[in-house]
Amino acid sequence: MNELHRRYFYTAAVFISLLLAWEYATGNGYLKPYRFPAPSQIAKAFVELSNVGFPRDLTIWIHVQTTVGRIAQGYVAAILLAIPLGYVIGRVPVLEKLTNPLIVFGRSIATLSLLPLVIVWFGTGELTKVILIAYGCFWTMISNVIAGVKYVDKDLINAARVFGVKGIGLYWTVILPAALPRIFAGARMALGVGFMVIVGAEMIGTIEGLGALIMEARTFYRSEVTIVGMLIIGVIGFLISSGLGRLEKYLVPWDTGLDEVRR
Amino acid sequence: MSERISFSDIYWGLIGTLAVIVFWEFAARGGFIDASIFPSPSLAIESAAQKLNGADVIQHIGWSMYRVLVGFLLGAIAGIIVGIAAGWYKFASFLSLPLIELFRPIPPLAWIPLAIIWFGLGEQSKFFIIFLGAFFPVVTATYRGVISVDPLLLRAAQTFGLKGAGLLLRVAIPGAAPDLATGIRIGWGLSFGVLVAAELIAADRGLGYMIMHARLLGNVDVIVVGILLIGALNLITDGIIVWMIRKWIGRWHGV
Repeated sequence: MNELHRRYFYTAAVFISLLLAWEYATGNGYLKPYRFPAPSQIAKAFVELSNVGFPRDLTIWIHVQTTVGRIAQGYVAAILLAIPLGYVIGRVPVLEKLTNPLIVFGRSIATLSLLPLVIVWFGTGELTKVILIAYGCFWTMISNVIAGVKYVDKDLINAARVFGVKGIGLYWTVILPAALPRIFAGARMALGVGFMVIVGAEMIGTIEGLGALIMEARTFYRSEVTIVGMLIIGVIGFLISSGLGRLEKYLVPWDTGLDEVRR
Repeated sequence: MSERISFSDIYWGLIGTLAVIVFWEFAARGGFIDASIFPSPSLAIESAAQKLNGADVIQHIGWSMYRVLVGFLLGAIAGIIVGIAAGWYKFASFLSLPLIELFRPIPPLAWIPLAIIWFGLGEQSKFFIIFLGAFFPVVTATYRGVISVDPLLLRAAQTFGLKGAGLLLRVAIPGAAPDLATGIRIGWGLSFGVLVAAELIAADRGLGYMIMHARLLGNVDVIVVGILLIGALNLITDGIIVWMIRKWIGRWHGV
């Protein structure tokens, strides 16, 4: 066995033994099934969720669709707003200085603390959730766009000037590509923020969406349903985030050395 | 021209901030936006001051800070220990990395229902959720910091006869300090966000509760003041953490 195989082997061994111990402990009453539902119960809950749904007729796929739809709307809105704005702010030093404290403060405001205010303004409907996601994503995104554009290597710009690139061409062919890795890093962080916000926002005033699902299930003492919901939230987050990573590799093949910044 | 250059960053920042506040104030007072649902800052503070009792507000702040401090400290300490162990000992990494990778994509807030099932509605469930908010950023940053310590440093130290725990404590951990510091800062920010959400959803005191309760009473002014207060607290505490980190790692890394 080489190193990698051994790694997989240990990982699998850890998981399987944990699952078996868990199953055994709940089966024998060491753990209360309501608090720690056994893996077999969780699997059953998953089947129930995908066929019957919880609450009835709201299957897990509907919850997923709702949540992903909300995130997508807020996320796209935030990105469309943050990229051009951040680009301009990052290129104009005076603007950057003027807006810096505002951006720091905007980012410091916990997104979910806006929930009561946004509910007063827009009610408890879809718009509220989308706005909260957009708010959270926006600040993460804009600070990364500004940093990306601002810290473009001066040598790159000077070299391009020497070759006669100027005006729009400079922005399009030099600054934007150089800033893209940072922008992508921002896009990934923002997605994490969006996920966090939606789960919290869905716990209040709705029955549709994964956040609502896990909270509803708790009220009905169905902790196994809660756990299924949590796992699915994790899986979706993981899939979207690695999807963005792939997209980035494809779109930004010149990306180097930003791996430390990215999460 | 010379006057413009002598303007320091702080002045520009102040001007920008003031411009926004004045604009907001003007729009609310001039009736362009409905002041009853979007009060100007001065009006909000003025009327919130009448509705809020100073001692109560301080109590809410106290509870919030207490929760976030306890949860964050537990999470950061656990994260540092697990991160170092996983980065230093191969066996520990086999055990902990897969579990961390499994749980990391689940946002801390998604644990709220389970936390309530496990720990009830009291303080423990909040500590647990804030713990998670701090744990994952700290553990991943610490782990990455430890494994990416310059091997040359390690070998040099080995040549001088350091090994085992001494090597870990005197070379690897100081080497990982910048990553660790980043993790701690991210963890603090996340803990703060998580705290507010936990207090909105299930609490009977704390700043998050204060603004959620104000919504039920229709006190928009209190909500606005509460939001600004939470933001300011986050900003101030983050500043303190940055300052402490600089003092701590300044002697190894020139920051």
